Amino acid sequence: MRTNSASLSSPTATTAQSVTVPGEVPGAEIRGLKVVFQTPAGPMPAVNDVDLDLPLGTITGLVGESGSGKSTLALAMMNAVPKPGHIAAGSIRLPSVTDMTRLQGKALRLARGTALGYVFQASQNSLNPLKRIGAQLLDLGRAHGMEDKGALLRHARELCERMGLDPVRTLSAYQHELSGGMRQRVGIVFALILNPSVLVLDEPTTALDMISQRTVLDIIRYVQRERHLATLIITHDIAIVADLADYLVVMYGGRVVEKGPTRHVLQRAAHPYTEGLIAAIPRISGDIDRAQPLPGRPPDLLSIPRQGCVFRERCAFAIDQCSVQTPGLMPVRVTRRHDALEEDSALLDGQVAACHVRAPAPSAKVST
Amino acid sequence: MIEARGITKTFGGRGGLLGTQPVAALRGVDFVLPSGGAVSFIGESGCGKTTLGRILCGMEQVDSGQLLVGGTDLARLPQRERAALLRRVQMVHQDPYSALNPTRTVRQVLEDPLALRARQLRRGRDWVESRAVELLGLVGLDPAYCLSLYPHTLSGGMRQRLVIARALTVDPDVLVADEAIAMIDVSLRLGILALLRQLRSELGVSVLFITHDVAAARYVGADGQLYVLYRGQVVEHGPVDAVISSPMHPYTQCLLSAIPVLRGLEEPAAEQLMPIAGLDAGHEPPGCLFADRCPNAEDDCALSRPTLRDAKEPGHRHACLHPRPRQVVAVPLAPDARPSGPP
Repeated sequence: MRTNSASLSSPTATTAQSVTVPGEVPGAEIRGLKVVFQTPAGPMPAVNDVDLDLPLGTITGLVGESGSGKSTLALAMMNAVPKPGHIAAGSIRLPSVTDMTRLQGKALRLARGTALGYVFQASQNSLNPLKRIGAQLLDLGRAHGMEDKGALLRHARELCERMGLDPVRTLSAYQHELSGGMRQRVGIVFALILNPSVLVLDEPTTALDMISQRTVLDIIRYVQRERHLATLIITHDIAIVADLADYLVVMYGGRVVEKGPTRHVLQRAAHPYTEGLIAAIPRISGDIDRAQPLPGRPPDLLSIPRQGCVFRERCAFAIDQCSVQTPGLMPVRVTRRHDALEEDSALLDGQVAACHVRAPAPSAKVST
Repeated sequence: MIEARGITKTFGGRGGLLGTQPVAALRGVDFVLPSGGAVSFIGESGCGKTTLGRILCGMEQVDSGQLLVGGTDLARLPQRERAALLRRVQMVHQDPYSALNPTRTVRQVLEDPLALRARQLRRGRDWVESRAVELLGLVGLDPAYCLSLYPHTLSGGMRQRLVIARALTVDPDVLVADEAIAMIDVSLRLGILALLRQLRSELGVSVLFITHDVAAARYVGADGQLYVLYRGQVVEHGPVDAVISSPMHPYTQCLLSAIPVLRGLEEPAAEQLMPIAGLDAGHEPPGCLFADRCPNAEDDCALSRPTLRDAKEPGHRHACLHPRPRQVVAVPLAPDARPSGPP
């Protein structure tokens, strides 16, 4: 199983290698995204100044705790930020949409689902309990002006089979007749039925047990390869995406604090938050006492610092500059390179972190 | 501290309007939780883990079998004494958001049970207050900051600490933690696990840990026992690291294979096992319960249901007719094989 999936990862790499820069086949491009919530205490930024590329043929894992803004970012990609929030600045380009943030009304409704597929956190809550799955799929097709019902159902059956679901049974079932893992897979069928090239999954394995989680993750990997999607998996648990994602993006307090190729981020996390998150994972083998808790608590919308580094209050390395100046994403410099990484280091390099201490701006001279 | 002998529990099966089939939640479960020890139960959803926790806390009655708390058989006690005995077993739920009354402050949450406790111990009002402060300190909450707050102002991790502090007000001998970290932010999870560890070592509290997360079970009770439940039957148990490093039962091997690998930090195991079918809880085979999903099933597996038998190491037992140890969990890459971090 595992060796199989490892060998399957190479086609993705070769595709990206042939174009030399991974960002050259853009699936989604987010630039300067800012989502603000109007609160009694004034406007509060939930997502602040986020740039994100999701190249086609890759999986990106977006990791963040509650209040990090990760789910708001995902909703913003559909231009579906709930009130009292709104997209205050930035643009979201998808392969077939110039800027998702500028779409309204019918154009927006049609773009959702065709340009970008979305799998909701709790699929049981996003399915209609009174309608059979097949009928809901037909509704979806009708809402997007698909005339050929037969083709839609054929596609649905094919997708179900791909996901290890019995097509006839699944399409004629009500949502309560399906297990949690099956509902999550049905959620993926819904997201893919209109053939989007960008797929966003919000906490796809929360509330699933280990084996269902593994099945869903394997399916995500599988459809990703087959359809050459740009996939974004949003999760609070870095371990979920550690095996699956090509790139990791770590959010904290509404900002991206670190991003880069998964392997590199895990091996040499530069941002103290990323480092702390990884250190706090209890491991299944080796010395269990190596796991170290991360002190402090995640900020909520009201307590996110407006100025300076969002993590500084929990950070053991904070310096004066951290409370004054907001760090930008800077390249992480490597001191030593492991041989096994040489083959993909040229392709996958590009790890950046927002930290005055660990990834200082080139001109700044920082003494710790 | 707690000893279970052949506990069984079956739900439903009364026929009725929907014609429900009986579901065996527990099929003759034996285990021993020593004082200050840790026992962890793992398994899929619907394997009976939660029912077991509820039985231990007195929220469900067993159909048959014995549950001994401190050497006394619960079933033989009159209601009053049973309640007193069960007070020594306290539960920490999965959801710290619904486990706390939103209209009670932290002080009230702790002082209500403490007032009862004070009456039992013939202590005064001062004791109640000082004990509340002491307990908050013990679970890592700042009393000066927390006491007058309402639960909604606390983070998930702080709430779970408060729930644990509340459980400690009655000086329990056993904490039953049912998926106690599932809803906690990841950066705070290890803090809760470390607290459970600390309560074990400092207060001698036994912990019964019910979880999906095998690594978390390993952290709380590396010196304890791991039990693997499948459809209400213990299919394998033994010292935590023995079960993790050389699982014998294919179901255990499937569970452990499903744990995601931390790529770059760990090396995937050479062997992986996945069930060949989904769980069909309605099917009640005469043979091994796992045979219809087992990638290694042979013909005789469908004939008779295997019972627990000894594996190689002492105390490691499994219920499989054709056991083969497999190393299925990832192993850490050697630290020197990894590049050092940035300066």
